Amino acid sequence: MRFLESAGRFAYFLVDFGRAMARRPPSLGAILEEAFRIGVRSLPVLLVIAVFVGTNLALQGANAFAQLGGQNLVGTFVAMAGVREMAPVIAAAMIAAKAGTEMASQIAVMRIREQIDALEVMAVNPLWYLVAPRLLGIVLVLPALTILAIFVTLLASWAVVVLQLGQSGAVFLAEARATVTGADLAFSMVKGLAFGVIIALVSCFFGFQAGRGPEGVGRATNAAVVTVSVAVVCLNYLLSVVFYG
Amino acid sequence: MADVSPVVPPVIELLDVTRRFGEITVLDSVTLRFPSGLTTAIIGPSGAGKSVLLKVLVGLLKPDAGTVRLFGHDVTEAPERELFAARRRIGMLFQDGALFDSLTVGENVAFPLDQHRRDLAGAERDRRVAEKLEWVGLPGFEDRPIASLSGGQRKRVGLARAIVLEPEVVLFDEPNSGLDPFTSDQIDDLVLDMKRRLGITFVIISHDIVGTVKVADLVGMLYEGRLVEYGPTADFVRSGNPIVKSFLRRNLAPPVSAFDPGEGR
Amino acid sequence: MMGTLALLGQIGLFAARIVQGVLTGRMPLSALAFHLHTVVIRCLAPVLAVVFPFGMVMALQGLQIFRMYGAERLLSPFVAAAIIRELSPVMASTLVAAQGGSSFAAELGAMRIKEEIDATDVMAVDSVAYHAAPRAIALVIACPLLNVLGCVSGILGGYVSAVWIQGEPAGTFWAALWDMTTPGDLWASVLKTTVFGAIIGLLSCFFGYHARGGAAGVGKAVNDTVVWSILVFIAANYLLTSAFFGGGTS
Repeated sequence: MRFLESAGRFAYFLVDFGRAMARRPPSLGAILEEAFRIGVRSLPVLLVIAVFVGTNLALQGANAFAQLGGQNLVGTFVAMAGVREMAPVIAAAMIAAKAGTEMASQIAVMRIREQIDALEVMAVNPLWYLVAPRLLGIVLVLPALTILAIFVTLLASWAVVVLQLGQSGAVFLAEARATVTGADLAFSMVKGLAFGVIIALVSCFFGFQAGRGPEGVGRATNAAVVTVSVAVVCLNYLLSVVFYG
Repeated sequence: MADVSPVVPPVIELLDVTRRFGEITVLDSVTLRFPSGLTTAIIGPSGAGKSVLLKVLVGLLKPDAGTVRLFGHDVTEAPERELFAARRRIGMLFQDGALFDSLTVGENVAFPLDQHRRDLAGAERDRRVAEKLEWVGLPGFEDRPIASLSGGQRKRVGLARAIVLEPEVVLFDEPNSGLDPFTSDQIDDLVLDMKRRLGITFVIISHDIVGTVKVADLVGMLYEGRLVEYGPTADFVRSGNPIVKSFLRRNLAPPVSAFDPGEGR
Repeated sequence: MMGTLALLGQIGLFAARIVQGVLTGRMPLSALAFHLHTVVIRCLAPVLAVVFPFGMVMALQGLQIFRMYGAERLLSPFVAAAIIRELSPVMASTLVAAQGGSSFAAELGAMRIKEEIDATDVMAVDSVAYHAAPRAIALVIACPLLNVLGCVSGILGGYVSAVWIQGEPAGTFWAALWDMTTPGDLWASVLKTTVFGAIIGLLSCFFGYHARGGAAGVGKAVNDTVVWSILVFIAANYLLTSAFFGGGTS
């Protein structure tokens, strides 16, 4: 019952937002500023996690495949697991965890402090002013971060293969290149794009729905995170099924 | 209550406006006309419906019944475009300023210009911002962060932002709330100064009778969602209405405390 | 350099005050229960939602390789070992830092700005023991707990993709599950995440408690918490993995 009510409100939110965007396109400066902020703030954590995932896929893969005499398969495995699936998910998870929660709590705080009312009174549509730059900023930056995560994951695996396992880096790269096609990269970017849209819209929506008081902010942020996590996982699965069958 | 129809034409009219929240009727068929060029204050205790009245007036809340007119146009059910067109002629000072923390003082004041007057060149924009900051007594504050401002300064910046588009009406939501008596006095003087300087319509929502008597031409009192008294300030303070009398007595009794931890919406 | 040393000294002292608060019983247990409940609820969905697809991916992609050798039996032990040893501990802790640590830093930062922490001290109550300790300890407990749930979620993710999607026999999946994982691995996983939880708890409370400069200062405390706690526990992970598994290759 409450879920249906929220879904209905979200639909209204989308319609209002679409109308506001149609009336007036958001300013490029604001979009770039958001993109830069989201990108720079999430970058260190994303890099660290990508390095971790890359080294670990290589280590665990090598460990398991060694029993089969298939050390050379590490490249294939890293390429398939890391590039196609994990890099988009970790990029989305980091952006959701940092930028998404920030959006929800910022907007909720602005709601409480009457800043959103102030926008309305100053004849500025809050959806246009607050949501549009965040949405387009994230849409701009998440595919780029996804590609970055892919290359850092690969690089970290390569380093483990060459430096720690003492195997041939050339074989690893050849394996990886044989597995990952341009279409894979493009598809990962599409995934990043779709995740970005979900993260921005859902987080902003919950920010606008926030009740009064500090616990309203906490609750809005929490609801945003839970909804975004579940939505991203479901969407990831759907997209993978559509693309890879 | 007698219907007071001032000779001056009204810029804002509330006709029979009723607003409920669930079971509670916060505004009960309130009819009010705010005459052009005058300062009208609406006073009343916390929870009387003052803040809701102000929000209905600018269309932040829709009335359940009745009509709201801005500058002669019925905006009760108006689409956003018309409502926004009317709002560009209105400035509003929020209770705690409602300033954007991520922007500097100058950027906050310039915000309405940047949104609605992009025809203005940078130098002219900066000149207007500097002028308004000077008017509110904060010259040279452009680059200060919002976090560094005191409560009184936040209200001053909020006022500078409210008048930067040169509006025809300025709304004040509790200009004295949360201020010490001394700062409160200074804000009253500032409002008075602005009134002389701009000569435009002011609407003030307040629970502070001292400041109200000082600046208002007309005073109305809201009590439990109803307008119980309305008239020129001089008549209002001599009103025989028992609710008004008890409110005035409590408020005028020294020492005057203008501190209010803030009233709920 | 001096600044860094001074900061490390401050963090050390802060940790000592938390431990002191716990040992002297000045940490309110009801607050601990409350914060533990909050942080587990807050982090549960993100942890499950991230580790589950990791399990799915490991199984889906691993299977393609094991099939080439007819060694499908190795799949479930491979997934279990990867999830339990590394993926779940680190991903669960990352999300605990990003969700739980950040919200504690924000709460304490807001209390500092609103002078609630000063008020606590003025009332002769140890503010570190009263406000910071229950939050820090809640993270120490929550992190391994969420990791265990993450492990279950990851293995279930592997099960879903291997058995439901790829049609591998369920019996083999469960029978072979523990072939590569020892009880020592399980303990190591729990121990590691307890250490990670302590790192996140200490840093989030430290940054939040020492926030200054209004709303922007709280934002900086939150950001510092997420970045530094993740960097520090990833470094700790490398050291601990080397200690447990000898360079991580076991």
